[in-house]
Amino acid sequence: MKNFSVLLARVMVLGTLFSAAIIAFGLVWYLFAHPGQPVGDHIFSGEPKFLTNPGDMLLRAASPDAFGERRSIIMLGLFLLLLNPPLRVLLAALGYACQHDRLYTTISAIVLAVLLLSFF
Amino acid sequence: MTTPLFDIAVAGASVLAGILGALIGLGGGIIVTPVLVLGFGIDIRYAMGAALCSVIATSSGAAAAYLRDGISNMRIGLSLCVATTTGAVAGAFAASYLNQSTLSVIFGTALLATVALSLQKKPEGVVPPAESDPLAVKLRLPGEFPGPDGPVAYGVRNLIPGVCIMWIAGVLSGLLGIGSGAFKVLGMDQIMRLPFKVTTATSNFMIGVTAAASVGIYLKKGYIDPALTAPVALGVLAGSFLGAKLLPVAPVKILRAVFLTAVFFIALQMIAQGLGLKFP
Repeated sequence: MKNFSVLLARVMVLGTLFSAAIIAFGLVWYLFAHPGQPVGDHIFSGEPKFLTNPGDMLLRAASPDAFGERRSIIMLGLFLLLLNPPLRVLLAALGYACQHDRLYTTISAIVLAVLLLSFF
Repeated sequence: MTTPLFDIAVAGASVLAGILGALIGLGGGIIVTPVLVLGFGIDIRYAMGAALCSVIATSSGAAAAYLRDGISNMRIGLSLCVATTTGAVAGAFAASYLNQSTLSVIFGTALLATVALSLQKKPEGVVPPAESDPLAVKLRLPGEFPGPDGPVAYGVRNLIPGVCIMWIAGVLSGLLGIGSGAFKVLGMDQIMRLPFKVTTATSNFMIGVTAAASVGIYLKKGYIDPALTAPVALGVLAGSFLGAKLLPVAPVKILRAVFLTAVFFIALQMIAQGLGLKFP
């Protein structure tokens, strides 16, 4: 269990740093593309559909269109950041399953299910 | 303000919020939202979305350190996460039915409660009770943490009331885009009677998982503007890292008194803004 906690801790730190790096890259890129633009966050207007749906988001960030829509690189980084906690719970579930701990495999699976359901 | 300047200012303010949060033991999320709303005039829903992402970023780093040291109790964390995540989903849905003013008032009130909770004295050196509630024993929740002279065993009391508080902490997290660490600590420390060290460590593990339950809903409702969230999340992450480094050398007592007073007035201002009052 000790080794397992160390692995989990490493995944958490590396995952956070990796996604932070992508977000930083996306932000710099975005700022170079849109200098001197007024900021529209004073009035709530939601976000375009392709930035609110994980599937569309990934497609958009991967397509050449991403060059026109630089926010999607940031969104990709954010999405990776948001995957960190579900990944943490998934690893916990797998760890308990390996120890044949049925009770805690189930509890981890319930938490994971709530997380996944909220994304879709 | 226009883009590069705005982003630099937001990132700077977020770094400060992160440092502050780490120094006085509040999360960066609950400080950065009022700063964005009151200081930059940003709609509270965008501010909440950005803050919630920063909560996930910082909790992963903090939780990792505790997990390595073997202080956090994974079984307690995961069991209570069933309550916090379902609460967070309910809270995030509720948030989408509330307008800006109502959210501001609820936010201000939760901020006041957080200040009150963090003013309470932290029990130090108290030997936790060894007996546990039967349900907690059945779930194998009692554990031990590494102390100065070998492992220290602890019990878990009042599981059901604790779970109820956790559900409410989850609702607040989803409703307001905060980590609601202060409320999680209340549940584990005051109600379930866990040792303070275990409480802090476990709540850090839970904060990220709870926040992740509402972030999917925030994303779908369009609360997360990438152009705002990027400087906020990166700023708070960097700030809380710096804050943790400063913690051993900073005059924490004085800073806490000054900043908690400031946060108290910020909370009043959030309530006033929500009620449409002009507050000097």
